Amino acid sequence: MRLPEFEYFEPESLEEAINQLAKNNSCTIIAGGTDLVVALKQRLQNSRYLISLDKIPSLKKITKKDDAVIIGAMSTLDDIINYTLIKEKFPALRKAAWDVGSPLLRSIATIGGNICLNTRCRFYNQSLFWRSSREECFKVGGNICHVAKKKNSCVSTFSADIPPVLISYGARVKLVGANEERVIPLENFYSGDGRFPNVILSGSKEILTEIEIPIPQNNLKSCYHKYRMRESIDFPLIGVSVAIQFNEEKRCGDARIIITGAGTGPVEPAQVRGMLLNKKLNANLISDAAEAAVTEIYPFKTTLISPRYKREVAKIIISEAIREVGGI
Amino acid sequence: MKKTIRLVLNGEEKNLLVNVNQTLLDVLRDDLGLTGTKKGCNQGECGACTVLINGKPVSSCSLLAVKADGKSIDTIESVAKEGHLHPIQIAFNEKGAIQCGFCTPGMILVTKNLLEQNPNPQIDEIKEAISGNICRCTGYLQIINAIKSLAKS
Amino acid sequence: MTNYNIVGKGIPRVDGPAKSTGKAIYTVDVKLPDMLYGKILRSPYPHARILNIDTSEAKKLPGVKEIITGQDLSDVRYAFVDTPRYPADERPLAVDKVRYIGDEVAAVAAESESIAEKALSLIKVEYEILPGVFTAEEAMKHNAPVIHDEQLEGTSAWEQWGVAQRKGSYESEIKVNNLSGHTSVSFGDVVKGFHESDYVREDSFELKATAHCQMEPHAAVASYDPIEQKLNVWLSTMGIFLKRFFLSKVLEMPASKIRVHHTFVGGAFGGKIDLFSYEYCAAYLSIKTGKPVKIELEREEVFMTTRQRHPMIIKIKTGIRKDGTILAQEVKAIADNGGYRGSGPVVIFLCHGFSFPIYNIENYSYEGFSIYTNNGIRGPQRGHGAPQIRFSIDSHLDLIARDLGIDPIDIMRKNVRHEGDVLPNGDKLNSCGLTECIEGAAKAIDWENKRMQFRAKEGNRRYRRGVGISLCSMFSGAMYYPFASAAIVKMHDDGSATLFTGAQDIGQGSFTTLSQVLAEELGIGMEDIQVVAGDTDLCPIDLGSFLSGTALVTGNAVKLAAADAKRQVLEGAAEILGVDDIDKLDTLEKKIFLKDNPEKSISFQQAIQASVLNRDGNPIIGKGFYKGYPQTDRYPSLAKGKGLFTSAYGFAAQAAEVEVDTLTGKVTLVKAVTFHDCGFPLNKTIVEGQVHGCVSMGAGQALSEEVFLENGQCFNPSFLSYQLPISLDTPESVDELVATIEPSGPFGAKEVGEGSVAGILGAIGNAVHDAIGVRFYSLPITPEKVLRALGKI
Repeated sequence: MRLPEFEYFEPESLEEAINQLAKNNSCTIIAGGTDLVVALKQRLQNSRYLISLDKIPSLKKITKKDDAVIIGAMSTLDDIINYTLIKEKFPALRKAAWDVGSPLLRSIATIGGNICLNTRCRFYNQSLFWRSSREECFKVGGNICHVAKKKNSCVSTFSADIPPVLISYGARVKLVGANEERVIPLENFYSGDGRFPNVILSGSKEILTEIEIPIPQNNLKSCYHKYRMRESIDFPLIGVSVAIQFNEEKRCGDARIIITGAGTGPVEPAQVRGMLLNKKLNANLISDAAEAAVTEIYPFKTTLISPRYKREVAKIIISEAIREVGGI
Repeated sequence: MKKTIRLVLNGEEKNLLVNVNQTLLDVLRDDLGLTGTKKGCNQGECGACTVLINGKPVSSCSLLAVKADGKSIDTIESVAKEGHLHPIQIAFNEKGAIQCGFCTPGMILVTKNLLEQNPNPQIDEIKEAISGNICRCTGYLQIINAIKSLAKS
Repeated sequence: MTNYNIVGKGIPRVDGPAKSTGKAIYTVDVKLPDMLYGKILRSPYPHARILNIDTSEAKKLPGVKEIITGQDLSDVRYAFVDTPRYPADERPLAVDKVRYIGDEVAAVAAESESIAEKALSLIKVEYEILPGVFTAEEAMKHNAPVIHDEQLEGTSAWEQWGVAQRKGSYESEIKVNNLSGHTSVSFGDVVKGFHESDYVREDSFELKATAHCQMEPHAAVASYDPIEQKLNVWLSTMGIFLKRFFLSKVLEMPASKIRVHHTFVGGAFGGKIDLFSYEYCAAYLSIKTGKPVKIELEREEVFMTTRQRHPMIIKIKTGIRKDGTILAQEVKAIADNGGYRGSGPVVIFLCHGFSFPIYNIENYSYEGFSIYTNNGIRGPQRGHGAPQIRFSIDSHLDLIARDLGIDPIDIMRKNVRHEGDVLPNGDKLNSCGLTECIEGAAKAIDWENKRMQFRAKEGNRRYRRGVGISLCSMFSGAMYYPFASAAIVKMHDDGSATLFTGAQDIGQGSFTTLSQVLAEELGIGMEDIQVVAGDTDLCPIDLGSFLSGTALVTGNAVKLAAADAKRQVLEGAAEILGVDDIDKLDTLEKKIFLKDNPEKSISFQQAIQASVLNRDGNPIIGKGFYKGYPQTDRYPSLAKGKGLFTSAYGFAAQAAEVEVDTLTGKVTLVKAVTFHDCGFPLNKTIVEGQVHGCVSMGAGQALSEEVFLENGQCFNPSFLSYQLPISLDTPESVDELVATIEPSGPFGAKEVGEGSVAGILGAIGNAVHDAIGVRFYSLPITPEKVLRALGKI
């Protein structure tokens, strides 16, 4: 499959990029392109214009600013993995970056790209020829979902590794548009709509420029666990990020558990945060929390694995991840 | 739409006029005749198209050629120097790490980067390093052994 | 064992430098001046009638040079099986109906791949969608949709070779729908055997379609010269003469007007034997346009439209004495060969042929059916039937051993065949190391200590381990066009040699092992040999690299050619050395010397020059040839399993230690043991590489690989979604070669490249049972299936 025809711009400033974005319809930002290039070949992406952010150096910087780390959206996963402060303060972020794809993609894939990653489905991530055997589904502008036939919406699955970790660290993202720029908590970036799963894919003419993560206090413990069939190449079947703030008595303060692979966006089981608050972790509590967590995920058969199996595995890796942060 | 890119290809500075909708793999194979870089899946899933970009292994089928602008690219054709095989190439052949040979260029480039970063890799590190390169012939064992034989303890 | 200088050593591959530097040219790398690029329009529907094809818009697209549809082509059909009983059923492009998703409808040649792709989108095809059928069992029912409703005429493609001549009618006595092949074999009295048994058990097993995953996608380049009327082709193939034969038939051109050129082959595993539509289309488009045409398949097309391993249902009933002696066995196998016959009738024959050499069962009956469905076409894949049947039988025997409370290895010991045994079809086991294989594998996996121990010790622990064992066997070549291999050895002035062989090195290392045979026999070094191969104009006929015949059949041809050249060298030398009998001479390191006075010698160079100078310019060219199956007038019959099959069988015992994560259901192959009786290993490194590759592929198929199909549509046509093993899945591995000497093989060599893909499946299934007490009757044993079996989901 050859790439379709498109025009390609390499603005040298953010302003220029935003102007181009505003000027043209059918226009897509390309970061590392590891996912977008495949989508173009499969004709899942049909933009006439690609705007590359390669020539805007400010987007590649990682800096410490007051009590936060600011990561430029064009930082590659390798940059994240090798940045000392991230190694020290955000082990779960480093782990999640390490777990993306295979070693052959991590030096070009970017954190911004991973945050904006489109949702996936076994009926959607196929070639144009493959898809021509069936009626067009919601995700490509049609009127049916092949996975959940009775549902009136797209259930394609959010499968990015890094966003759950960032959310659990309380990260915010900066979105820059033609007239305004805004900083929003990352969880608000996701829509929950399988067709247009995030702000950018919903067509907002903005550019995600940087990620701001507050540097945690020492008693915040975090980890990322990814479950997949093969320990490289594969997307997560289920991934879970856990970040728990412990007080002096080792009781849980704020506990954030964010799951990928379980819905149309990152999923945070609401009741678990409350269940753990002010409690000391023990085996029973962890097991109850994991049980409760999976009642709030709604996997569909968007991969070749059954939702029932996903749910079971989610329970296991949620327990494991909480145990790891609790040192149990 | 075409664009001129500047890069250092196998040690030589080049200005290339490329179509913006060509991948780096397309340019290497179709335009430059550097067919040692293979197209196995064209979707970034098999590693047959691995090249080194600024020393790091990358799937060239997943990278637009325009994005190689300003970079240094090394392909398998650069590994043997002055008519002599590189020690990695010799070890691969002696240890049986080559069968059909289609994954071999990618495997060798990944190994080159691995040994530069980590001259004494352990078995687990070797397996991790080649985990994006699929080989159907060898079951990986003789490849792992070949790389291990190059480790400097 | 005799001491050899060159064979038996782990000599590096002769093509290693070319492959490791990127200089090796594969078919996908071939680029000719003024070349056009072809693409194929395929059916998106599994079963439909073609009402109309409109190519007018596509033809208008600038850069499009030619578009062909089935209407443009002659009515000649082709197929992997092409006999009076099983007439060829494939056409290069569909005319009336499409029968699977991906069936070829039209082909385009254009100035670039992009233009060709665009042209495909402009071709309008009107279909009438027909009901499809997607499992063999459904397809056999009397009211199932009929997939091939046309009458096919059957003349054997090989009749001029004396094979499979029509005798009477082939009206099938079996009345099931969509039948594409039937094999029925029996000996002894099964009813009596069951009656006399202490215990009888029946089981049913199911195996799914799997993919070859050759790293090089299928591709063809064709260049027709209208003045010479000659077609030059570059193909990624396992057998150049077979491809030429097929092309000659469908293009209705003399074989000599088609030249297959050499290219390296980036993996085959059985999936590059059949003639494919894209190969025909490249050739035909080149003939029409007068320009070279290249067609390279997308990875998705390789998965969906080349070939897959047959999904099968296998039912087994065995009667056994308490002491483990098998008295009777009845096997029924049903294979789904997809929309066209592919190798359906062959795989059901080989299920029998690759299994009956293992156990000596007096009363035995086997019946196999191959069935059309609207799935993708199935063809040979490494082991071709052996993985399916071996997994089933050895899982079944393991269950019987558990029922009887005996060690499954004792059942194996008691029933396996031995050297000297004559099989019911008349094949003689001139070498058979099965018993040594079993004992070796059992010891290496620590059978006595590990079996059933883990379970007892580990109780309710999360990770549980178990061990299992299974056996396998394989032909060393058999009868298939062109029925024999030949080799030519041409001596150069400087005493070195060029080997001309039609064998293909598909990665298995045949150029290296054949060079070793030549060097050893002739008394020259590896550095003195060049190989010219893979070219139908330059090389003598060859079976091709499938059915594991290259080492034995082509190896023998090379050895004989080398001996012929050596004789001529010695004759030249004898005159100079004043010796009356060449038997008094021998060769080593490019020197000819007197056996009883090695000091007295001359160089090869001198002997060769002498031959030219003193014998009217007679150059030294050695010739050798060998038939691919035993000398017999009893041709093997696919339908009846009669006749001799092969000169030698390879055998292996394989054991596995697995670890099951009872929480996630993931099964890890911790250790794989293979004891392979491959006769004399011509090159230890290469032979071990073959075993490793088999184990990895077998383990993938046991644990994770499956072509997922729903209504004929493949859901995982990529390396991301088709879960073949990666480096991180590599187990600890113990491989031993049980070196027997096969009298019919060159230096005693026989099969190694396929057998051991088959035993590892049963070994893993049995090991999982040992670990968690649950039997899996279908593969792959995915984590999801494990959790279901454990009652956790």
